[in-house]
Amino acid sequence: MQQPNPTAPTSLRAEGRGASVQVESLVKRFDQTLAVDGVSLDIAGGEFLALLGPSGSGKSTVLMNIAGFEFPTSGRILIGGEDVTRVMPYKRNIGMVFQNYSLFPHLSVADNVAFPLKMRGMGRAERLRRAGEALETVRLADYGARMPGQLSGGQQQRVALARAIIYQPRLLLMDEPLSALDKNLREEMQLEIKRLHSELGLTVVFVTHDQGEALTMANRVAILRDGRIQQVAPARELYERPANLFAAGFIGEMNLIPVDWSGGRATLPSGQVWALPPDACVSPVPDGRATLAIRPERLKVVPAGTEGALPASVSEVVYAGAGTLVLARLAGGTEVRARIPSAEDGGVRPGAQVALACDPAALLLYPVAA
Amino acid sequence: MKAFFEPDGRRMSPGTIFLLMLPFLAIAGFVFVWPMLSLLSISVLEPQPTLQHYADVISNPVYARVLWRTFVIALLVALLCLAMAFPVAMLMAQSRGPKAVFLTACILLPFWSSVLVRTAAWAVLLQRNGLVNEGLQTVGLTSEPLQLLYTKTAVVLAMTHVLLPFMVLPIYGALRNIPRDYGRAAAILGANPVRSFVEVTLPLAMPGVTSGFILVFLTALGYFITPALLGSPREMMIATLISQQIREQLDWPFAAALVGVLTLFVTLIALAFGKAVRFERLMGGGAA
Repeated sequence: MQQPNPTAPTSLRAEGRGASVQVESLVKRFDQTLAVDGVSLDIAGGEFLALLGPSGSGKSTVLMNIAGFEFPTSGRILIGGEDVTRVMPYKRNIGMVFQNYSLFPHLSVADNVAFPLKMRGMGRAERLRRAGEALETVRLADYGARMPGQLSGGQQQRVALARAIIYQPRLLLMDEPLSALDKNLREEMQLEIKRLHSELGLTVVFVTHDQGEALTMANRVAILRDGRIQQVAPARELYERPANLFAAGFIGEMNLIPVDWSGGRATLPSGQVWALPPDACVSPVPDGRATLAIRPERLKVVPAGTEGALPASVSEVVYAGAGTLVLARLAGGTEVRARIPSAEDGGVRPGAQVALACDPAALLLYPVAA
Repeated sequence: MKAFFEPDGRRMSPGTIFLLMLPFLAIAGFVFVWPMLSLLSISVLEPQPTLQHYADVISNPVYARVLWRTFVIALLVALLCLAMAFPVAMLMAQSRGPKAVFLTACILLPFWSSVLVRTAAWAVLLQRNGLVNEGLQTVGLTSEPLQLLYTKTAVVLAMTHVLLPFMVLPIYGALRNIPRDYGRAAAILGANPVRSFVEVTLPLAMPGVTSGFILVFLTALGYFITPALLGSPREMMIATLISQQIREQLDWPFAAALVGVLTLFVTLIALAFGKAVRFERLMGGGAA
């Protein structure tokens, strides 16, 4: 449970709103490798944007370019409307939290948190007072005198967070900050970061490979693959209307059924013909071979022979408490999965002949992957 | 006393620890402790039990001067090594791939060649008709050969060269252990490269700096070959003096007393260093 939020001290709040960030046609090449291939992002002030993608997708490289640790091969980076493409990181006034905390091991917790203020020429007494406030904000008020090595991973990451926000940056970058923590701590820290985001009003750009983390924390999620943006959208749109097959498969589970598409009608492998609603196509789909996508939880198990439903034979039933996973094989040989509430499974058993019904509004159609 | 743990976390029994250390203890006892003790016993027992030899060392200002000169030269060598080693170590720590291999080879190749060879090379360079003198005259900086060989400068120069790897390697080790993210964290938090170096890199490299410094300084204090070959007989260092007492004067008890004084000196300095920087940090490498 989250405790009642103490209001963050004014000395920590971003002046005005967080800074907007524009990434314009960013290209980053390392020797022969093209790490980022023309990424453009428009991040509003105060927004929480997650960069999500598998490893090697270029998400960290985009962040490194925003931070200034790498300079773009081409393209521009604007922070708060100001072109910072070639500005050194120490002049950018950005807060950043690293994957491995990166607390300085030779400085006490308080000195770590006060480090950015020391770099900005603030006197020792004043900066330690503010460090105390910042530590209070992350609920570590009594830990200032300790050394980083004496703290747990979660505490270290909270100290890193305090250090990143103490100088009121208008932009906070986070590079997989929670991946080194265990599951419970990770959820606690997710809440903590969301709380700080809303209290301080700063812009957050958050890199992660964990889709659950991206969906729950961010206002919008940008999915990257091979250095290119696949889709930038709020969580709901990302899940319900993924822009392409990669996004569809990367976020959550998706059943993919090969179909023939012609004149607004899809012919399934079973020979059934379904007329799809016009908005089933997220982007225009040319006639010919196409892929029909359905989320497993949008499928219902109905008696065999039900009109308009897909005949299937059940190959496995996995009971998992509230939900049950039904693995089935369609008439055309395609394996599909259906997630149904356990209370409504109707005693379905492996080997049973059933049919799978689906709300037409849940159907999505994509061109066959190039 | 810190507990000894095996990699899997079990504690080793004292018997195992003793067995593992036995080869080291045997060699150290045979080639260091035993000769040292017998030498020191000579200094107080021959020709009959006496402290006269120590009194001789202390009462004659010549020996105090030798000791002081040795101290100054060793300190100078250690400081020069530090000044030259740090940039090299930083470059090595930041390099990857072929460049790192090349730099490491530059440091290690001379390290693997004989001290005698390297010292002799300096003699060749610094002699009257050597490369340095000819170069200076060709350029026109001097009109006639300078006395370079058999001077304190030659000793300092060659000892710095010979002992440099002992400074580079520990500093390199310490720098290499600093995660790259620390530098990035310092930068994004507002530290320019100079401040980042002063506030983060240098403090974290200190264990390497101190161990390198102690290694070079203490080795230089007792150094023999280089001062013997390149130094002036008028400006002897203590090791040369001891050797002379043994081989030319055949005065073993007096030489042994000099060894006793040098040993005391080295021990005191090592203890002082140990107090200044906690010894376990030196040994353990520090940044945990």
